[in-house]
Amino acid sequence: MAVDTEETASAGQESEPPKSQSRGMSERTLARAFMAPSVTAMVLVAGFPIIWAVFLSLWAYQGRERTGFAGLGNYVEAATDPRFWDSVLATFVFTVGSVFFEFIIGMVFALIMNRAFFGRGVTRAAILIPWVIPTVISAQMWFFMFNITPGFINSVVPFVPADFNWLGTDYWAMFAVIFADVWKTAPFVALLLLAGLQTIPGDLYEAGRVDGATAWQQFRNITLPLLRPAILVALLFRTVDALRIYDLPAVMTNGAFGTETLSVLVQQFVVQTPDPGLGSAFSTLTFAIVLAVGIVFIAALGRDLVIGAEE
Amino acid sequence: MSQTTEAEATETRAPAPRRKAAASGEDTTAKKVGKALLLATIFVWCLFPFVWLISTSMKQGNNALNDPNLFQGPFGFNNYVTVFEQNFLYNLRNTFVVAIFTTVICIVIGSFAAYALARLPLKKKVLWMSGVLAASLFPPVALVPPLYEAWRTLGLLNTYPGLYIPYIAFTLPLTIFILVTFFSSIPMELAEAARVDGATPWQTFYKVVLPLAAPGVFAAAIIVFVFATNEFLIASTFAPRDLEVQTATTAIAFFTGASQFERPIGTITAACVVISIPLIIMTLIFQRRIVAGLTAGSVKG
Repeated sequence: MAVDTEETASAGQESEPPKSQSRGMSERTLARAFMAPSVTAMVLVAGFPIIWAVFLSLWAYQGRERTGFAGLGNYVEAATDPRFWDSVLATFVFTVGSVFFEFIIGMVFALIMNRAFFGRGVTRAAILIPWVIPTVISAQMWFFMFNITPGFINSVVPFVPADFNWLGTDYWAMFAVIFADVWKTAPFVALLLLAGLQTIPGDLYEAGRVDGATAWQQFRNITLPLLRPAILVALLFRTVDALRIYDLPAVMTNGAFGTETLSVLVQQFVVQTPDPGLGSAFSTLTFAIVLAVGIVFIAALGRDLVIGAEE
Repeated sequence: MSQTTEAEATETRAPAPRRKAAASGEDTTAKKVGKALLLATIFVWCLFPFVWLISTSMKQGNNALNDPNLFQGPFGFNNYVTVFEQNFLYNLRNTFVVAIFTTVICIVIGSFAAYALARLPLKKKVLWMSGVLAASLFPPVALVPPLYEAWRTLGLLNTYPGLYIPYIAFTLPLTIFILVTFFSSIPMELAEAARVDGATPWQTFYKVVLPLAAPGVFAAAIIVFVFATNEFLIASTFAPRDLEVQTATTAIAFFTGASQFERPIGTITAACVVISIPLIIMTLIFQRRIVAGLTAGSVKG
């Protein structure tokens, strides 16, 4: 793959404006020229900085000034910092909680929409609204709704005291952040699952009904297996997104009360407490965690994902 | 390859559930009411918080902070006046400029790569696609420390390119992923016919394939645009204060009052409504396209 990258990149430089050289350019050359800009962009802006982050993480800093080589010192400091482990825990609690509820609610939504033809179009449009509203805005929205002032949630939910401080209480702060995330993305999961449901032929259910299968048996034995690729794709995107969550905890609690996720922690060490060395160590560890989880999913999906690539 | 785009697919498949319901003949009035109620629940769940947002943004004075009752007036547009007095128009402009740059560049180079992956002879396609997918898993926060240092050295902090360059890198994998599906669904015969007529591979791409893929390209463009208007981590880290570059999401997050618990709720909610309305209108108009783009990767036709 490394060889390919170099080949493609150099081919791109030779054939700068593809238009002028188009006469006689073979499809193979065009393919390389077409890949070049994207590969260059991703390597320069994503690939190279990662290597640089690893490099930065090996140095000691005083403020923004580099003071000397630290070796693995920053990693030792990171691994012995309870704040790091707290944020790993917060990230995992957030990820498991939000993906679990998003999946359940999204599946229910998708099943409802798949059955009811009347109003499906309108509902599908409505479902896109939480998706399109910027996360910062939903964060502000739920911040105020969960807040004591004006106390909207407290006035609507029975048995909750008017002065209950959701965002200022351990565990409940995380609950509020997860709730906001589920609101924003459960509809999105529903959309992905609905698309999958619509590829399942209706005859299968009729056959199932004729054989006397209950609704649950039909779901268990027809829907779930055939929906597998859509489910895995939805879970993959949602899990990775949840692992790198920043906006919601940053705006709703600023990382207080057990809601400091890895992204919030890294941002703190880059901007607020400038320590590029330790910050880079945190970010490299975050990257490793997200990558490990992502690889597990990609392995599970296998060739299902690379549609159209095989010819 | 019998792949259809999701938009077409939905159209052709729509009658299926109808047939099913008619065949089973069990759609009693009670069931219909039940279905309608369930759909209404989804509807309310998705829209209700936005109703709260609009109501709160219209409340006057301390009313917004003191009274959780949605329908308790007096209502007015004062908060909106305040928002625009706070130069929120600059923030909107910045968001728009950054999003346009991101979308145009990303779509142009993304379509090239996607076409190469979908239709051109390229070695190790599966490996390339896995690489693209792996890149889409990338946590943006991992880029913050190295890019922050790089931008500081290159003078790119508080500039438009400082924002849209990383955005392009983040959205490229998803764009390629979506577009590969669309390009694959175009019948190969048309490209073959163009070649027989003497078109070069490049001409085949931009005169024949690109126009056919336009709906898919448009869907991807909307999704990239939404990403760029949404982005907060990079925007708030690389362009936090400069009014000439600060984006709307950053402005909304940093509208602060005296303490964390005294945020100016009326102004913030009004600003939230101002940025959401155009996005919502866009969503409603292009609903079908967006759904097609979002679900392109998850459905195998």
